[in-house]
Amino acid sequence: MSRAVQRPGGAAPKRTEITDDGGEFHSYFDSPELRNVHKTDKTSDICPVCKSSRYLNPQMKFLVNPECYHKMCESCVDRIFSSGPAPCPIAGCRRTLRKAKFRAQTFEDVFVEREVDIRRRVAKVFNRCEEDFETLLDYNDYLNDVEDITYNLINGIDVEASEKKLQGYAEANRQLIDDNENRARKAATTYAARQAQVKEQSRLRREANMREEERERQERLEGQRNIINQLASRDGDAEQIVREGQIGLKRRHKTAIPDRRKPSASATKAEDGKLLYRGLKKKTEVEPERPFSPYAGLRIANEYSVVQDHYDAPWLSFAWQDERYLAGGFKIGDFYSRVFSEAFAGLSVFVDEEVAGRNLTGSFSATEGAVAAADQDVNMSDDIF
Amino acid sequence: MRFFIDQLEVLFPYPRIYPEQYAYMCDLKKTLDSSGHCVLEMPSGTGKTVSLLSLIIAYQQHYPEARKLIYCSRTMSEIEKALAELKALMKYRTEQLGYEEEFRAVGLSSRKNLCLHPSVKREKSGSVVDARCRSLTAGFVKEKKERGEDVDLCIYHENLDLLEPSNLIPTGVWTIDGLLRYGEDKKQCPYFTARRMMQFCNVIIYSYHYLLDPKIAERVSKEFSKDCIVVFDEAHNIDNVCIESLSIDITEDSLRKATRGANNLDRKITEMKSTDAAKLQNEYAKLVEGLRDAGEQRDEGAFMANPALPDDLLKEAVPGNIRRAEHFVSFLKRFIEYLKTRMKVHHVISETPPSFLQHLKELTFIEKKPLRFCAERLTSLVRTLELTNIEDYKPLQEVATFATLVATYDTGFVLILEPYESETAQVPNPILHFTCLDAAIAIKPVFDRFSSVIITSGTISPLEMYPRMLGFTAVVQESYTMTLARKSFLPMIVTRGSDQGTISSGFQIRNDPSVVRNYGNLLTEFCKLTPDGLVVFFPSYLYMESIISMWQGMAILDTVWKHKLILVETPDSQETALALETFRAACSNGRGAVLLCVARGKVSEGIDFDHHYGRTVLCIGVPFQYTESRILKARLQFMRENYNIRESDFLSFDAMRHAAQCLGRVLRGKDDYGIMVLADRRFQKKRAQLPKWINQALPEAETNLSVDQATAVAKRFLRDMSVPFDGRFQEGVSTWSKADLLRHKAKVEEDELRVLRAEREDVDMGGGDGGGDDGFDEVDEDALAEMDL
Ligand code: SF4
Ligand SMILES: [Zn+2]
Ligand SMILES: [Zn+2]
Repeated sequence: MSRAVQRPGGAAPKRTEITDDGGEFHSYFDSPELRNVHKTDKTSDICPVCKSSRYLNPQMKFLVNPECYHKMCESCVDRIFSSGPAPCPIAGCRRTLRKAKFRAQTFEDVFVEREVDIRRRVAKVFNRCEEDFETLLDYNDYLNDVEDITYNLINGIDVEASEKKLQGYAEANRQLIDDNENRARKAATTYAARQAQVKEQSRLRREANMREEERERQERLEGQRNIINQLASRDGDAEQIVREGQIGLKRRHKTAIPDRRKPSASATKAEDGKLLYRGLKKKTEVEPERPFSPYAGLRIANEYSVVQDHYDAPWLSFAWQDERYLAGGFKIGDFYSRVFSEAFAGLSVFVDEEVAGRNLTGSFSATEGAVAAADQDVNMSDDIF
Repeated sequence: MRFFIDQLEVLFPYPRIYPEQYAYMCDLKKTLDSSGHCVLEMPSGTGKTVSLLSLIIAYQQHYPEARKLIYCSRTMSEIEKALAELKALMKYRTEQLGYEEEFRAVGLSSRKNLCLHPSVKREKSGSVVDARCRSLTAGFVKEKKERGEDVDLCIYHENLDLLEPSNLIPTGVWTIDGLLRYGEDKKQCPYFTARRMMQFCNVIIYSYHYLLDPKIAERVSKEFSKDCIVVFDEAHNIDNVCIESLSIDITEDSLRKATRGANNLDRKITEMKSTDAAKLQNEYAKLVEGLRDAGEQRDEGAFMANPALPDDLLKEAVPGNIRRAEHFVSFLKRFIEYLKTRMKVHHVISETPPSFLQHLKELTFIEKKPLRFCAERLTSLVRTLELTNIEDYKPLQEVATFATLVATYDTGFVLILEPYESETAQVPNPILHFTCLDAAIAIKPVFDRFSSVIITSGTISPLEMYPRMLGFTAVVQESYTMTLARKSFLPMIVTRGSDQGTISSGFQIRNDPSVVRNYGNLLTEFCKLTPDGLVVFFPSYLYMESIISMWQGMAILDTVWKHKLILVETPDSQETALALETFRAACSNGRGAVLLCVARGKVSEGIDFDHHYGRTVLCIGVPFQYTESRILKARLQFMRENYNIRESDFLSFDAMRHAAQCLGRVLRGKDDYGIMVLADRRFQKKRAQLPKWINQALPEAETNLSVDQATAVAKRFLRDMSVPFDGRFQEGVSTWSKADLLRHKAKVEEDELRVLRAEREDVDMGGGDGGGDDGFDEVDEDALAEMDL
């Protein structure tokens, strides 16, 4: 948790760095100079600093620094930056680089390399997922906005404003971002687990198949041996024996097939059940469900009586012990409470008041109805002409 | 000949009918009546196409729904043949009925074959023709013209708009040639005439791809109504067509081109922003709503589904982060860049789509969902930008289709990266194969959409394999035998050389000199005894080359040369065409020739060697697939796990269907005759997998012959064949006149009655007793089977 909280803060200094010289930075990126560097790099495997080539040294590795994305070989990095931060040795680049930041280049195109770095930063902040939104349209609009910000950052349009937006959002939604991050991490682990499970299953299936085949082969061999034995021991029509044996073999073969399918089918079922895991987890975070109440929470408790467990009613005693009644769901307690509520049902009802109230609403609705009817008349005559 | 099947009158354009044709039609009718699918195997050369057409047309004209027929075949020549048959049939119907029916049929082919535009039609490559045509016919081009801009239009296309849209051509059967001639006459484009008339036709004949390739089907075939009757003829390879239509290969070169395409798009977007920003805004607004217009969406069952464009996708709005054109282009660029980094790896990688997506997301923050929309989003953008040179964007489109598929299907696909072309190659030339493993995915929309799908071929054994692989259930599965008055083809299996050494193309012994010599002897012997043409099939080019060079060293070819001209198929289609031409000439002028070709090559699939062009076919070795291919391995594993089809079963099935296809090449009719030699020890065990009609003609005694035995049998057979044979002997046996047909029907009815009566009697007697014996047997068998479990 503490690590997660630190993160947005940790990103802050880096962010300010870029905002400071954002404009210049981007103009630099569009400069033909870098494009040239990039082009020549692609064709030849020569370090632009020490000019040693991969041709002579196949183990040579190139590294870049996300400050300026200038490529150089590993030994140059060691040589220049081991004793602390130093300026980039590429002509025209004044940036100060640190050794720790150097890493291998993933993409051939440095622009994409940089784009992905920016995306990583943005994705850390804007990490909502579809379930967070009421409608798909909302989600899509959100995605659109995020993409706008990212696109601007990448292409150097309104960098400052975009940074501000990003920062603003990060500060406003710190808690949520952390939650989402946790969620994503969890999803990733369950995904990995599921993947492993699938793999395991297919391995098991394969093994089962192999065993099956082996068994079949054994059986076939045995069958053949049987035929030969019978031929040797039993007298009678040789062809008949062979034919019988062969039929037996075939039948065995046929019956063996269908039962292989079933286990795999049930296995996938179980796996499908697992898929719901994530959905279930989230439900608990929502409000705990209240017990179902009919009549929208209106509860009629017996105000005037307290039902006892047992009353001495001889005409009923057979019923609450007789299995024939109990099996049908009869409960003596229900019977008691119903009797009581019937007995006291009339209490606390004030007929006068209710009648008065009803008159009021009744007359109102009557006039309204008349108006409506009149309206309709008018409409109808309109229709006719 | 006119006759009835149940209540349906069938007009058959020949005076005689083969018994198997009648049976075939009966089963077809059963399928159509029950609105189900079927798999039918009809021996080659027994008039499959004409029976199929006669019955379906009769059905169509008899019932008020007039279900449309979509007839798919594989090659142009087969399409032409079917059209010719249909034309003859309709002519016959008109004569018999005394009036012309309201009937239209068109054959559809590519623009390349149907274009009339004087300069466009001269282009060599089909895709260039397509592209140029599009630039002359696209909707916005016309708009521009109307605005008074100076743009070219195709006059042939414009003329169509002057006609009544449902009546572009008169009724009748329109062959490709017919369309061209009519188009030239009336100055209207044959291609668009055919495309637009498809909705108003009773019969459409075109190639598989129009229905199975999602990119084409989406544009051409999605509007057909549900009750259409779909026929896949020559369908023994349909699973491979399905798989190929969804598989994509990506190379470094195609990625480079895709990047260029993306950069072009970028430029166009900026251009458009400054000139016509409203258009982009318009598109944006539309995308907020969803991919398809609201109107289109409402009518849900209106279209055939597209495997590359799942249904739920159509109903959903495009994800927000690729809504804007520039966002989308940068998205594509990132994806391409990612693929480029993947290409750098120097070892083979095989992974599933989910793991690919996972890695992609970690590296580039591309989520699965926008990826799924890629293909459709690109189409929309291309349309908005009014790009005409779509050809340039093809690699980009391919990448987009790949993106959509990889994000749509978790299973049934595999990604295989092969950094080197071959094991020994030193310079990497990486290819990323995105391979479909499940033939059912591509064909599923067809089965879902259409109530009757008929899969038929001359060699489609074992029948039950196809429903399993393609994921459907067939109401009828039948294989017909060939009724013959005399045995006119001689299948045999040669397992040994004259020296009794086994012959086989198995890996262990395939280069063994004694085996090669025995094969050589087999070839020389058959070259000596066979009149005219002889065709030899090898399992692969590699094997063919090595064996030919060895024969050369053994002076076998010199002996062969004395009897026959030797011609060889090569991967180059032009060379092969030349070889074929020479072959035919040599067969016709009496020199005689032998054609050495490959069981999976062009010759084995589409070329007929009827009559004297092919008197003997020699199948040297079992034509197994190259099993070391990673793609094949992945597919085998998939089928094993999902369809429970064993690796060895599939491989042997696949080899045998190709072998059968080769054998079928020489026998193209009942008056034809030929020898079919399967030369490999392993064929002996696989004979059950041959089509029924071949298998039945193969007596047990001829499944284990040595070369000299085979020669003797073949000589006897040829002597029999040389005796003049009167067609009258066939009467009533292998060909039926109307009287024979009626007699057969009466007999069938009588049999049925007898069975019914017998059943009735059984019931009267108190049931059970009569069939007691049988019942007992069954019980016993079941019990036995259970014990074995
Ligand atoms: S419209 Fe027809 S004739 Fe004109 S270019 Fe296209 S295919 Fe050719
Ligand atoms: Zn260096
Ligand atoms: Zn630098």
